[in-house]
Amino acid sequence: MSETATALVIDDERQIRKLLRIVLEEDHYRVLESESGRQGLSDIALRRPDVVLLDLGLPDMDGLAVLKRLREWSHVPVLILSVKDGPEDKVAALDGGADDYVTKPFESAELLARLRAIQRRAASVSEEPFFRAGSLEIDFNARAVTVKGREVKLTPTEYALLKILAQHAGRVVTHKHLLREVWGPNAEEQSQYLRVYMTHLRKKIEATDSREKFLRTESGIGYRLVGAKQ
Amino acid sequence: METNGVITYNKAMVKDRCPQPHAIVAPLCQTTNKSVPTTTPVNEFVVAGILMALTTGFCLLIVSFIGYQAVALVYLLLVVALAIRFSRGPALTLAASSAVLWNFLFVPPHHTLYINDFHDGMMFLTFFVVAITIGHLTTRLRRNEMGEREREQRTAALYELARQAAFATDLDSGLKAAVGLIEPIFSAKVGLLLRQKDHTLSSMPHAASSFTPSEKEKRAAAWAFNHRLPAGRFTDAMPDSEALHVPLQGRTAVMGVLSLCPRAEKSLDPTERDLLEAFAVLIGLVLEKEHVIEALKHAEILEASEHLRRALLESVSHELKTPLSAVQAGIDALARQTDGNERRQSILREVQLAVRRLHRVINNLLNMTRIESGVIQPGLDWCDVGEIVHAAIELAGESVGDHQVIIEVDQTLPMVKVDQPLLEQCLCNLLLNSAANSPPATKITIRARVQEERLVLSVLDEGKGIRKEDLTRIFEVFYRGADASPGGTGLGLAIVDGFVRAHGGSVRAANRETGGAEFVITIPVETFRTELREASP
Repeated sequence: MSETATALVIDDERQIRKLLRIVLEEDHYRVLESESGRQGLSDIALRRPDVVLLDLGLPDMDGLAVLKRLREWSHVPVLILSVKDGPEDKVAALDGGADDYVTKPFESAELLARLRAIQRRAASVSEEPFFRAGSLEIDFNARAVTVKGREVKLTPTEYALLKILAQHAGRVVTHKHLLREVWGPNAEEQSQYLRVYMTHLRKKIEATDSREKFLRTESGIGYRLVGAKQ
Repeated sequence: METNGVITYNKAMVKDRCPQPHAIVAPLCQTTNKSVPTTTPVNEFVVAGILMALTTGFCLLIVSFIGYQAVALVYLLLVVALAIRFSRGPALTLAASSAVLWNFLFVPPHHTLYINDFHDGMMFLTFFVVAITIGHLTTRLRRNEMGEREREQRTAALYELARQAAFATDLDSGLKAAVGLIEPIFSAKVGLLLRQKDHTLSSMPHAASSFTPSEKEKRAAAWAFNHRLPAGRFTDAMPDSEALHVPLQGRTAVMGVLSLCPRAEKSLDPTERDLLEAFAVLIGLVLEKEHVIEALKHAEILEASEHLRRALLESVSHELKTPLSAVQAGIDALARQTDGNERRQSILREVQLAVRRLHRVINNLLNMTRIESGVIQPGLDWCDVGEIVHAAIELAGESVGDHQVIIEVDQTLPMVKVDQPLLEQCLCNLLLNSAANSPPATKITIRARVQEERLVLSVLDEGKGIRKEDLTRIFEVFYRGADASPGGTGLGLAIVDGFVRAHGGSVRAANRETGGAEFVITIPVETFRTELREASP
């Protein structure tokens, strides 16, 4: 990651912008602020931030519309920061091209961790042959998965699921995304299979005696692989 | 004044639109009245007799001038004239009797039926046959013409009804026009019983009705409504009724019953019945159309009000949570700047706890408002029960404190179709409730099973249990048991109840035999069990 990343905060509440600036600057971000959707879009085009924090309730245009416009020409990582906490709002934003979603009020440590995770995506599209999260290790070349040094046998479907989650480590991956990637574009409604395989996968890599959890359920939205080194 | 102006304008509009159909109804009604024979055959016989007597008197006066044979032609003229106006019976009787009268009074020898002359005999016979034939043909011609006219009137009436149904400004005036149309055609009183909102037949006749059915008639009407068949007079079902009851059959449902109470002792011929049924279908369709429009309007209003409630909730949620976010971010920023200072750290920790609590209260209030305004719609999707339980424990987080949470979930449970976030919140609230109401370090057990397409989730604690009088009231909003632990809002369990109800399920509280409380959620679910056969690599 570069020394000083630039973060653009698009939020109409002055107070939130000001406090986010303090929190982000503490974490060595250079901070830009936009108070409307239109201004935000032009700031992204002109000032090229490394990451965008986008509020959904903007006065001039809907946050989702900003996201849609943005995704037509930019791949900049976007973190949604909103008071809307319904699963349907989150899924709509994630399917609309957002990289992650944090609800207000948020705890700064969580917010910063999510920001780092989505920036990592931009930096490397998992070119690395190894993945590590706590005691979980994946060797993509050998298709081998070990927990605490012990090899875990996964079926091809289970492995495919784990691989996608590892490639998006720290970020939420929606049910729809997983279904599309593993079962193909026509399987988006077959969520029961996803649940069954995720349950199996979880049993295999999260030993019951262990308190170490790798797969976090984002209920109504998807799954998140946690514990990877940030 | 301005509103007055608007009202007057509206009235003018209504007036403007109304006369059109009524202008057409009026002449129609008049012709209809004419078409119904005003003179019965008995009257016709009397009139025929009088005319016959007059004609005979006239002939007696002039017979000396024109000769008795020409008198036959005068009688023939009378027969033709009367046959055009009168019905068959009187016309034929007149024809026969005029032949006999001519013979009796004018053909020599006078005052006998005896005929001397062969020519006279021929004349009498011809006269007789011609008179009968003319009488017969003319009445038939007239009957055809009348039938034709009646058919035309019926078609016109049907057309008129359809027209009025289409253009009526409101249902009541449309029905009134329909009754006004049907009454003269059948010379009957008309009653309309309509279907009510609960899909049963109203016992109060519609305001447009011209007679009020008795209890007996209402029973017949109800029979027609329920069996979708005509009932009452002229039918096989309850034929001793005074009125005929025809169901108003719409495209999918019976919208009411049309009752016809004939004024005179007349029966309905098949064409009249066809017409009546056509009327009934037409009125049924109009009512159905009206019903569909009403339902559509209602749905639109409902949708609009729900939309409004959602928008309001969203705005309240925004207004409450935005300042809370600022406070939270402020605490975080301050915490990073007070690294060494233990005193400040501890103050911030307290503020942090207060903010979390406030956050929870706000969420509870918003959830309760969502439940009470009915905007909760569970988004059902396949879920793993174990996953729900683990996620709920994670959601409860530190608040479960030092309690030991034991999970008793069968590994072989099928997938269930529920709204996972809602159910997680339910379990979380029950966990928090148990944690708050039982001593530290005691066990809290979460049990899950699926039986007979029902998901049963129980949370059991080892606390002091629930007082008997609180057992039924504990799920009420803001209800707090007398010995409830301090700090709760009285909303947690009410939210559980609301969310579970939204799933079509129920939640109940009980005391365990071994001490402690037990909460059981039961939800009807769709289940999915699969054996995944996939070879390990």
